[in-house]
Amino acid sequence: MNAPALVLRGVHKTFGGLTAIDALDLDVDDGEIVSIIGPNGAGKTSLFNLITGLYQPDRGSITLHGQNLVGLAPHQIASAGIARTFQTIRLFLNMSVRDNVMAAAHGRTTAHLWQSVLRTPVAQREERQVRAEAEELLGFFGERLIGYRFEQPAYSLSYANRRRLEIARAMATGARVLLIDEPAAGMNPAETHEMTDLIGRLRDERGYTILVIEHDMHVVEGISDRVVALDHGAQIAQGTFDDVATDPRVIEAYLGLRTAETK
Amino acid sequence: MSLFLQLLINGVTLGSVYALIALGYSMVYGILKLLNFAHGEVYMIGAFIGYGVLTAVGGPAAPVVPVWLLVIGMVVVAMLGSGVLGVIIERFAYRPLRNSPRIAPLISALGVSFFLQASALLLFTARIRSYDTTEFISLGTGVDIGPARISLVRLLAIGTAVTLMVALTVLVRQTKLGRAMRATAHDREAAAMMGVDVDRVIVATFFIGSALAGAAGVMVGLVFGRIFHLMGFVAGLKGFTAAVVGGIGNIPGAMLGGLLIGLGEALAAGYISSTFTDLIVFGLLIAVMLLRPRGLLGTPAVDKV
Amino acid sequence: MTPIGTDEWVAEAEQRRQGDSGPLAPLRRGLMRVPPVGRLALLVAGAGLLPVLSDSTFVVRVGLNALLFALLALGLNVVVGYAGLLDLGFIAFYGMGAYTYALLSSDQLGLHWPTELAILTAVLATVVLGYLLGLPSRRLLGDYLAIVTLFFGQAFVQLVTNVDRLPLPGGRTLDLTGGPNGITGVDQFRLGMLHLRTVQDYYWLLIVVFALAAVVFFNADNSRTGRAWRAVREDPLAAGALTIPVNRLKLLAFAVGAGTAGLAGTVFAAVQLGVFPANFTVTLLIMVYAAVVLGGTGSIPGVVLGAAVISVVPEILRDPDLSRFLFYGVMVSTLMVLLRPWRVLAAVLVATVAFGFAIRGLVDWVWPGELIEAGGGGGKVADALGSWVVMTPGNVLVINLAFVALIAAVLTLTTLRPAVRHIGLPAVLYLSAFVWENRLVTDPSITRQLLLGVILVVMMNVRPHGLLGEPRVEIT
Repeated sequence: MNAPALVLRGVHKTFGGLTAIDALDLDVDDGEIVSIIGPNGAGKTSLFNLITGLYQPDRGSITLHGQNLVGLAPHQIASAGIARTFQTIRLFLNMSVRDNVMAAAHGRTTAHLWQSVLRTPVAQREERQVRAEAEELLGFFGERLIGYRFEQPAYSLSYANRRRLEIARAMATGARVLLIDEPAAGMNPAETHEMTDLIGRLRDERGYTILVIEHDMHVVEGISDRVVALDHGAQIAQGTFDDVATDPRVIEAYLGLRTAETK
Repeated sequence: MSLFLQLLINGVTLGSVYALIALGYSMVYGILKLLNFAHGEVYMIGAFIGYGVLTAVGGPAAPVVPVWLLVIGMVVVAMLGSGVLGVIIERFAYRPLRNSPRIAPLISALGVSFFLQASALLLFTARIRSYDTTEFISLGTGVDIGPARISLVRLLAIGTAVTLMVALTVLVRQTKLGRAMRATAHDREAAAMMGVDVDRVIVATFFIGSALAGAAGVMVGLVFGRIFHLMGFVAGLKGFTAAVVGGIGNIPGAMLGGLLIGLGEALAAGYISSTFTDLIVFGLLIAVMLLRPRGLLGTPAVDKV
Repeated sequence: MTPIGTDEWVAEAEQRRQGDSGPLAPLRRGLMRVPPVGRLALLVAGAGLLPVLSDSTFVVRVGLNALLFALLALGLNVVVGYAGLLDLGFIAFYGMGAYTYALLSSDQLGLHWPTELAILTAVLATVVLGYLLGLPSRRLLGDYLAIVTLFFGQAFVQLVTNVDRLPLPGGRTLDLTGGPNGITGVDQFRLGMLHLRTVQDYYWLLIVVFALAAVVFFNADNSRTGRAWRAVREDPLAAGALTIPVNRLKLLAFAVGAGTAGLAGTVFAAVQLGVFPANFTVTLLIMVYAAVVLGGTGSIPGVVLGAAVISVVPEILRDPDLSRFLFYGVMVSTLMVLLRPWRVLAAVLVATVAFGFAIRGLVDWVWPGELIEAGGGGGKVADALGSWVVMTPGNVLVINLAFVALIAAVLTLTTLRPAVRHIGLPAVLYLSAFVWENRLVTDPSITRQLLLGVILVVMMNVRPHGLLGEPRVEIT
């Protein structure tokens, strides 16, 4: 459909004797929404950690539009264009909603400390611009994070709003690829439905390429162009939601039927 | 050769003191992930309690009890006193802060340390006290190893340390409390859900760790004689270094670390310069942290994301 | 979930409640209404009045110390408050600045560099040192960093105490730091045409330096870098994943903090006309920390207030009358805040007074003639105290026991239910007055140390965000 954006080839990661990711190949095209599914401990979050540089792969390559990412520090990978959210939401709790978003613009701004201290015109202009962008970004989530909310500390937000703010923060990095870890976890049905819409809008209105980990199959069905199923760190199936959902290996991995040991 | 042997003996003596201090740091850190800055001060108070016992039974020149009983009494009373002190510190300075920002208990610990130092200054004044060990344990007695000699008091100190460490190892490995301690160190919440009384475990840990520091204080008093209100600060730093070198949270590691720091310090004092031993230990700390941040016996941890 | 309605109201009320509670709430509210520039102007104007109002060198010297302290606290605030790094080697940078300036501006090495150049070199040297000490911090967890830096501070003092006989090739030795005797005869500042001679001169200089520093740090806090520092403090891992170069920012915080301390150090060396290892001990470190913690980490007005309190209180303690006034004043005002309704307060105060006379009478009856009258200053207050407090300053054992009992009693009180606590309070208050009059009032340095320790512990327990800081939450 499009040019491949994120490409993983033969990525391998072990912890002690435990294989977290096993010779994984993965392609994500520009503008695609790919869902990663799999039982707990299948290596989904490890995969995100490998892509974003929190873990270093033992073997294999990870590239974004042909640029090698292996060996880069997390902030360099983020600046290269991959931003993420966390399964256990990790906001800057004691900073305001707006500051959370503005902080994430660090990588694409340039004002040095001395420029900020002296309030040079360049620094002032940049500050105003980042602020306006942050407010515009927060507006993407409807009325929820704007107005008086700008000044509120992140810890005062509801759970669902924290998830939204985390996504806003990832968008503010200027990345074109978003890695979203369990966006619907802990949400009620209405919020889950809204999150499904939101992820679709992220791609349709803003053109993001999205890799998402999700357990809620309604969400996965609703958003995915393609689904990749992992088990024990290896890809066991991929394709459309219907293909993957009916794949016997996937069903086995989820239900733990060990009738046919295929390993 | 004789010098080397003598330094070795010095190093092992010093090392057993550091090991005892390091154990307290390490155990507390293992369970609470808290750096107990006041630990060095607990050790200092232990040394003064030992001195108090010595004075109470008639002083070094004319103790009214047999020498063996005197030494045991000093160690036991100091251990009890320091243990209780440790428990009090935990109860009032750390427990209320268990769910605060990480930096809060550290600053509180710093405050406790400073408060204890000032209290000791108030109670005991700045005068340096001496155990005058030679008055009741003759320097002449001891065991000859080749050209060098281990004096009885050093043997006593090393023996006490080894006994305590063996006892601790048995306690941690074999008893129900030990199991609870290991479980709590591994995962406090999970342990609590499995029915471990976490508060009790923490209290026990502070008591044991502080008691060991108290014993170390008495040993230092016996072997090196001089005790004063500032002695806890540097000893605490060294004990902590020992814990880090061995791998913090790791009990055999603390013992090994203590021994290494003691030996390193003694050898450095003998062959390089006695004025710069602290700097050398500091260099060692930095080196270990850069080369093996988890210490010699520590296991690498994976960040949970 | 409507944007306007209960949700908003609850959130706002909550915020108001959290931000403004406690006895200092009106002060805080008033302060926050004044724009930052106005606050600074008020402070500078107030500080500037001091040498005008008082021509006592002593008073100006206390003010100078307060300003030096405020400068140190501002620097430490960057490291601890903004970036969240527990740097316990901070005082070493102060010492490094002082020693570097002293070496370049004294007969020690026979160097007398121009003041501007010496200051610049000293600050650069501290910045480099701060950077170097920050390097291991990249790999260290917060707690490890604390101990490494604490050790570093200790190592610095050891080093300057001992490099007075540095062996040189050729068998000679070099006296670099003067050892325990320090470096004396340090040059005063000559900035352009200005030759700074008196304490007053340095006081004016420090007002300027402090005002500049406050502006610099305020702007830094409200900038891209300040936001990134706070992000690193809140969650370094998330910060890294969001394009923030965590290690570089930690090093920057270290270097900025160190440079500020270094600058303060040069002024200190020049005003003291010398530097000594004993100037840079852990006590000073604790004092700066107490200042930052008391005022509120991360808050510029907070740390300035903290610095003022921490540097002025020890001076008050030196004078028995003033310190007595402070002691009883703080005691009564604390009770006034904590004890409600006023009937309880009155009952406790009356009970305390009665309890005192009873004990005093009893002791006089059992050991007649043993007690001495309360000393210090005379006057009605002292006389009244003398017939109330048992005075036996020579009886070390009793006083020591009373001190230990006081600590035990205070700790026990905190665990009791309020009703029971009120019953025990008079005895404890009397006991504290006894310890105070017999021991503490005569030994201001110990009192100061005890006070600093207590401030750190109590503030962390009661109000970890300090007097003027923003309350923070942390989910672990």
